[in-house]
Amino acid sequence: MLDSFIPSWAELLRFMPEIILSLVGSLLVMLEPVTGPKSKSMLGHVAIAGLIVALGATFVAHANPGAAFSSMIVVDGFATFFRVIVFTVGILTIFSSYQYLDREGSNRGEYYALILFSVVGQSVMVVANELIMIFIGLEISSIATYVLAGFLRDDKRNNESAIKYFLLGSFATGFLLYGIALIYGATGTTDLGEVRQAVLQSAEPPVLLLSVAAGLMFIGLGFKVSGAPFQMWTPDVYQGAPTPVTAFMSAGPKAAAFAIFLRIFVTVFESVGDRWEPLIWASALASMTIGNFAALQQKNFKRLLAYSSIAHAGYVLVALTARSEIGTASAMFYLAAYALMNMGAFAVIAHVAGKGETTVDVSDFAGLGAKQPVTAALLTIFMLSLIGVPLTGGFFGKFYIFKAALESKLLWLAILGLLNSAVAAYYYLRVLVVMYMEEPSARTENLEPMPMSLQAALWLPAAGVLFLGIFPSAVLEFASASARLLGQ
Amino acid sequence: MLDTVFFYLFTLLTLGGAILTVATRNAVHSALFLITSLLGVAGLYLLLHAEFLFAVQIIVYVGGIMVLFLFVIMLVNLDAAAAQRQFSRMWPVALGCVALVGLELFYFLGKGEPAFRIAAPPPVPEPTAGNTERIADVLFSQYLLPFEIASLLLLVAVIGSVVMAKKRI
Amino acid sequence: MSFLGWITLAPLFGFFLILFLPRNNPALIRQVTLLLSLVIFAGSLGLLSGTQPDTNVPWIPDFNINFHLSIDGLSIWLVLLSTLLTPIAVLISWKYIDHRVKEYHALLFLLEFGVIGVFVAMDLFLFYVFWEVSLVPMYLLVGIWGHERRIYAAVKFFLYTMAASVLMLVAIVYVYLQAGTFSYPEILRMIGSSQLVFSPTAQFWLFLAFFVAFAVKVPLFPLHTWLPDAHVEAPTAGSVMLASVMLKLGTYGIVRFCLPMFPGAARECADWIVALAIIGIIYGALVALVQPNMKKLVAYSSVSHLGFVVLGIFSFTQYGMDGAVYQMLNHGISTGALFILVGCLYERRHSLEIKDYGGVGTVAPWLSIVFVVTTLASVGLPTLNNFVGEFMVLVGAAKVSLTWAALASLGVILSVCYMLWLYQRTFTGETPEEVRKHVYDLTPREWAALLPLVILMVWMGISAQTFLPRITASTSPILKQTTVNVPFQVQDATPASQEVADAR
Repeated sequence: MLDSFIPSWAELLRFMPEIILSLVGSLLVMLEPVTGPKSKSMLGHVAIAGLIVALGATFVAHANPGAAFSSMIVVDGFATFFRVIVFTVGILTIFSSYQYLDREGSNRGEYYALILFSVVGQSVMVVANELIMIFIGLEISSIATYVLAGFLRDDKRNNESAIKYFLLGSFATGFLLYGIALIYGATGTTDLGEVRQAVLQSAEPPVLLLSVAAGLMFIGLGFKVSGAPFQMWTPDVYQGAPTPVTAFMSAGPKAAAFAIFLRIFVTVFESVGDRWEPLIWASALASMTIGNFAALQQKNFKRLLAYSSIAHAGYVLVALTARSEIGTASAMFYLAAYALMNMGAFAVIAHVAGKGETTVDVSDFAGLGAKQPVTAALLTIFMLSLIGVPLTGGFFGKFYIFKAALESKLLWLAILGLLNSAVAAYYYLRVLVVMYMEEPSARTENLEPMPMSLQAALWLPAAGVLFLGIFPSAVLEFASASARLLGQ
Repeated sequence: MLDTVFFYLFTLLTLGGAILTVATRNAVHSALFLITSLLGVAGLYLLLHAEFLFAVQIIVYVGGIMVLFLFVIMLVNLDAAAAQRQFSRMWPVALGCVALVGLELFYFLGKGEPAFRIAAPPPVPEPTAGNTERIADVLFSQYLLPFEIASLLLLVAVIGSVVMAKKRI
Repeated sequence: MSFLGWITLAPLFGFFLILFLPRNNPALIRQVTLLLSLVIFAGSLGLLSGTQPDTNVPWIPDFNINFHLSIDGLSIWLVLLSTLLTPIAVLISWKYIDHRVKEYHALLFLLEFGVIGVFVAMDLFLFYVFWEVSLVPMYLLVGIWGHERRIYAAVKFFLYTMAASVLMLVAIVYVYLQAGTFSYPEILRMIGSSQLVFSPTAQFWLFLAFFVAFAVKVPLFPLHTWLPDAHVEAPTAGSVMLASVMLKLGTYGIVRFCLPMFPGAARECADWIVALAIIGIIYGALVALVQPNMKKLVAYSSVSHLGFVVLGIFSFTQYGMDGAVYQMLNHGISTGALFILVGCLYERRHSLEIKDYGGVGTVAPWLSIVFVVTTLASVGLPTLNNFVGEFMVLVGAAKVSLTWAALASLGVILSVCYMLWLYQRTFTGETPEEVRKHVYDLTPREWAALLPLVILMVWMGISAQTFLPRITASTSPILKQTTVNVPFQVQDATPASQEVADAR
């Protein structure tokens, strides 16, 4: 009996990235008191090093695919794909945080530790093959993010953001948990594979109970991915949180939440797909429409991107509505592209924001094209990618999603979605207009040069966005291969 | 028979306690009613032969967390808060929601047992060991990973509360 | 990768080259751009020799998307027009553009890359990519270096085109899902052999999705409202590229994609589209007549001229089709020259209002002469280029309906009115003090920009044989294709060039 307790080496290997990150995170907390106030950035370097090692470990783990720890987790292409996304998001977040934290006088070790822990939580979510693991991962990720949202404690908007995020997030988790309980009630297990088997093999699957469970989980996850009609918290929280944290929230936890969304809905709830498809169809359309039309009226750049992130959640929900392998693959591809372009855009905001984030209106970016042409050019790439102009990852992702939608005979959703993206072009273009076509603002007039770290936080995603747009093949193949495995 | 009587008794305790928790104005009373509610849940555990959970529920929730709650309530001056109007004007909306949920519930109940068909409980092996022992077995074999990972959750919560609350870091 | 592939990619190389040049040396940037764009033009002349092999390189194998480029008689002249106008655009911006020189020239190359790509792409996905890529630099050119209301104009331009083209994307994906490939020749083969048959409803909506995207670019009445704004606000070179090349993307798309892929729907809608085209011809001309602003006048004249092109295409006759393609080139050259001339006046007098001018002919005789030639070309004087195109279009239209031809001829008459009146008000009469003080004659640089266009006007007017055989060789198969699944046959498939020669 005792032997089975001890995990084998292969099992540990499959969980190695999370182990490494947990250790590095704990190490950071211990190092914090012994580092001087001037050298806190060292802790950030350590965190980045940890994330890079974890990224390496991800590929090692991918070479040994399979389940581990009594099938609590499973390392497959899908998990690896999302692990890479969340780790990359972590690295980019830290790169864009140094200057910001220094400026706000809050460069502390806990920040980096919390980022790492949050990443661990997301990573657990994406490898989890069991509802309880998913729940615990989600909680780790969420709690760390709640704290990060309010990290600058003396800032009122930070506090508002953290409290709102915390209250609504906990509320959403309750729904998710209720859904999990119902699944357990319907099938007697929380293991995703077993749940699936139980549903498939049962002569008369408990359709009603599963549908209610799907509905409840949809509510819970809808909150996390900020899909309509559960998007109300997004603008306030995104606006209030420190900008690098906003970037992190909009990419990492969102990608991980979509990962479990896909994993649960594509595998477990596939049998009751006809029942939730209209639900997600409506949610997708509402998210795109609400997000895009509300973004049209925003002056604050962070708020604008918050609404745009609702719209982008809508695009991914279109992919979910397609309920096909290619839909799953397109959602994966889109999330990767979206994480990169959003991280990049927020990094520019973090640079321009100024102490206390006094200058985050779109109009504060006036004349950036003249004063810092390189920064402006990179932001242009991100904006074009968000619009979905060809040769960027955003375009290809959108193309892929709407192709999946058309293949699943969702003609109207595809048409309305694409028209929506034309509406979106307007507010993204406004950023370009302001940046290139208006006279410099007081802020861009005296903008300090970009530090190395922030440059990394811009160049890396820009290169990634262009790579995904021009040579999407490699990522595409990986995504579709993983999606195929997931569906089995 | 006796089981059923106790089930309804504990249910009453749980739900009644919960309602009174949100309905009373005095924070101390609220906390006390919450304890009642939690005790009811503990009783339900006992009915399910989950002795370990029963004990944990009482020790951790009733003994630990709620006592802490009471301390906090007594240390913080809540008179001002109590004087304020406690109920939001949104209560008609809430009432509507509750009515809707109730309707839904009755609809499902009306559809009868098939609607709520629960999976057959897994065959319970002859108890070779006590409840506590079996929980330990599962926790340290099959559920080892979630159990360990939960410690990380606690660590994050601790760090988070320190970050948020400590005067000077 | 064949020669064609290299020519297509060359402007992209130029784009990156300019990005790496030092910002503080605008003279160097101008010289390098001019030199490189001339080299590209010279290289593109090489495309005329023999049959050019296609470039067909896998790009995204998962979706069977290929970097497939091909050139034929329909696209070759349009490609040459684009490569010719790029160095001219550099020349006319030499003085005019004095801030952010680096970005400006980089974007010119990007624009050239986009439009050439559109003309040669043979993969529907690739075509869409180029289509959108050409949009961004033009948007920035108008928005950054334009006049007062540039932002409004640029955003309007972008949104009109974008909104229309997303529907085209849906249609492209739909076609792909039906055909299983993005390869255009393959799709045509499948349609030709009835392997791929769209139901009438599907065909109608697909045609509409493609057609609206193209019609916005053309621009066909009533989708034209972005055009005057964009033209008036754009810098001179922007107007030239917009009028001469970008508008052709739309008409080219109609000929290349709309007709062969959805012949039934195209025939079905032809009457309506022709009606819109004729309304456009007359409306554009009438509005041009009353414009107080020179650029706006030329812009509305474009609406009128492009109406001819659409009319020619939808007459479904060899004459009309060839005339339409020829007219695309003519319009590119004569309207391009007109915009350059208006730009020259603006550089001197800093006004686009006609009332600020008068008697320019006395202070700038050469400018006046070139303007006359261009004006006459534009109104369709025999022996100049527009005459050939308009004549062929009218003959084609007359073969189908005399009423069409009669109504369209009204546009020709009106064009004489507004153009000559413009000339009269600007170049003759009293010379105001301001004009006398500021206006000087053409500089060598301006000569260099205008002379090639003037030569072409004459050459294309008297020696249409140089150009037409290639065009006919490409359009007659397209015309044949439109008889697929169509109950009636095309009556006239004899090579039009011969008949034109006879008519002369």
